[in-house]
Amino acid sequence: MTSVTEARPVRRLRRSIVAGQLVLAAVGAYVLAESAGLGLWNELGPGPGFFPCVLGAALVLLSVVWFFQERAGVQAAPAAEEADGSQVRSVMLSLVVLTAALPFIGFQLGVFLFLMYHLRLRARTSWIKSVLISLCGSVGVYYLFTLGLNVSLPEAAIVPLSLIGL
Amino acid sequence: MDVLNELLNGFAAALTWQNLLFAFIGCLLGTVIGVLPGIGPVAGVALLIPLTLNLDAAGSIIMLCAIFYGTTYGGTITSVLLNTPGEAASAITTLDGYTMTKLGRAGVALTIAAAGSFIGGSLATAGLVIAARPLGSLGLMIGPPEFFALVVVGISLLVALAGRSMVRALISGALGLLISMVGIDPVAGAPRFTFGMERLLDGVSFVAVIVGLFGLSEILAHRPGKDKVVVQAPGMRALLPTRTDWRRSAPAFARGTGIGFGLGLIPGMTGSVSSLLSYGAEKKFSKYRRELGHGAVEGVAGPETANNAHANGALIPLFTLGIPASPTIAVLMGAFLQQGLTPGPTLFAEHADIAWTIIASLFIGNILLLVLNVPLVGLWTSILKIPYPILTGLILMFMVVGAYTINFSVFDVFVMILFGLVGLALRHLDIPLAPMVLTLVLGPLMERSLRESLDISRGDLTIFLERPVTVTLLALAALIVCSPLLKLRKPAALVADDPET
Repeated sequence: MTSVTEARPVRRLRRSIVAGQLVLAAVGAYVLAESAGLGLWNELGPGPGFFPCVLGAALVLLSVVWFFQERAGVQAAPAAEEADGSQVRSVMLSLVVLTAALPFIGFQLGVFLFLMYHLRLRARTSWIKSVLISLCGSVGVYYLFTLGLNVSLPEAAIVPLSLIGL
Repeated sequence: MDVLNELLNGFAAALTWQNLLFAFIGCLLGTVIGVLPGIGPVAGVALLIPLTLNLDAAGSIIMLCAIFYGTTYGGTITSVLLNTPGEAASAITTLDGYTMTKLGRAGVALTIAAAGSFIGGSLATAGLVIAARPLGSLGLMIGPPEFFALVVVGISLLVALAGRSMVRALISGALGLLISMVGIDPVAGAPRFTFGMERLLDGVSFVAVIVGLFGLSEILAHRPGKDKVVVQAPGMRALLPTRTDWRRSAPAFARGTGIGFGLGLIPGMTGSVSSLLSYGAEKKFSKYRRELGHGAVEGVAGPETANNAHANGALIPLFTLGIPASPTIAVLMGAFLQQGLTPGPTLFAEHADIAWTIIASLFIGNILLLVLNVPLVGLWTSILKIPYPILTGLILMFMVVGAYTINFSVFDVFVMILFGLVGLALRHLDIPLAPMVLTLVLGPLMERSLRESLDISRGDLTIFLERPVTVTLLALAALIVCSPLLKLRKPAALVADDPET
């Protein structure tokens, strides 16, 4: 009688998956450490740190289980379609710049420039179309919210811009 | 009679011109979201919450509900005309709907789909009227332990939203719970994970997180096709079905309503499951089953009726038990909470007038959508002709407005951007986003009710075993958690493809 104890092939893990698992485990470990200081249990039951502590431990444990599952090829994550790098960069950068600039240059000018960037520079829409859509999206939306819906949007804090009602 | 009286009062409130206008705008926006590529119903509803900020509670929820079921109508249009489902529940409609378009019967397909959606949606709302009173009377029996058990049932549903991997679904659920715990602890008042930032004392903005996770990450991950969209809107005369079309569709409407309503009641089942099973029922029971896949009108009538009956039926667990049956309904529940309304048994005890106004508005909304969708098909198709980069720019602008106006703070816009990146990373890692929404909404409710319960019992956990309702609900939660072992899972074909999971 022969017994076959063949080792299952170990999958080569994608770097991004391992990095994700490491980040999740690190977040779990941080939460675990931080929650211990919040107080886990008192005479009335769980303290402020109890739930985060359980969740931090669970996150570490689940990340480890996922690592071994991936290695064994059980319920492995399929290769994801790569996102368009230039699209991600331009969208993120434009959003960060817009958000940072909003309190200074206000909604109307900020969103006008934001939309011009996306319409004229990225989408190569004609100048007239770009300007018209950007005006509707900035000035139009500003008045729709502030006058129509009574919801205020940021106004410019820089003096020349604030003086002309932006 | 009481129910009828309350419903009539609800109609009286819902038929004021303000509430009619909110329902109308909601239906319009919902249809646009359903039609648009790159923005799903979850992000769409979250994104439009700021529009309702200054409305009264009833008006706000009427508009958001209309947006919610409007998306299911809108999703059909692209399925039929472009072979591209606008949202997951309409995917199966492409099989016969698009074939009908190729046969020159697009108008008939759209009209039958709209009629089916109307019938399914209205009958499911009638079911809500019937169920509201008996389930709502549970409100008198609900204390913190029972509420805790109800929330545990809600959270256990992430099992049903797991997608390909249970471990990754649990990671997503744990992340949602952790995000919900940022801010001041609800019982002791201690700040948690605020990193010394005053702005985080009130927690992370729910809307900013959802818009980032679902909306922004979808735009970042989207790869538009290079082909130009060519779409032809059918003329008014082509919209009219023949008597044979109506006759053939009637049994499909009935089967679709039954399937969609039944599955809508089961939390965790998505609209896609209903439409797929309805198509399966047509394949089994329809007299014309051999024609399915070749442009049979039953292939449109059944699934479209089912997905709308499902969308309206799924509001029953939300209204009566406070359990969100899908990610979109979880967002809707977030909007309820933001308006100071807690969906569930106490809703009918404390805010019966608002609850009945909203229910009455569901009937009105379904009529509005029937009137809006079919004659305005030309307008909806013209939206599809807008180049994707222009749409992206405008959607991004609305995301900024949506995130900003919740607390009037650019900090929340940065939170939205950060969660856009997190969402992109999670999509890349194949970690489902739906469980995170569920736990994000239910997490604070669970923690608060558990700790209030233990306050009552002075730390004694047996409080949960002494009350029959609590024991029953906890047993139900255990059954749901164990359901994968009993093979009570959704059809395998849907697990990988269902964007709702």
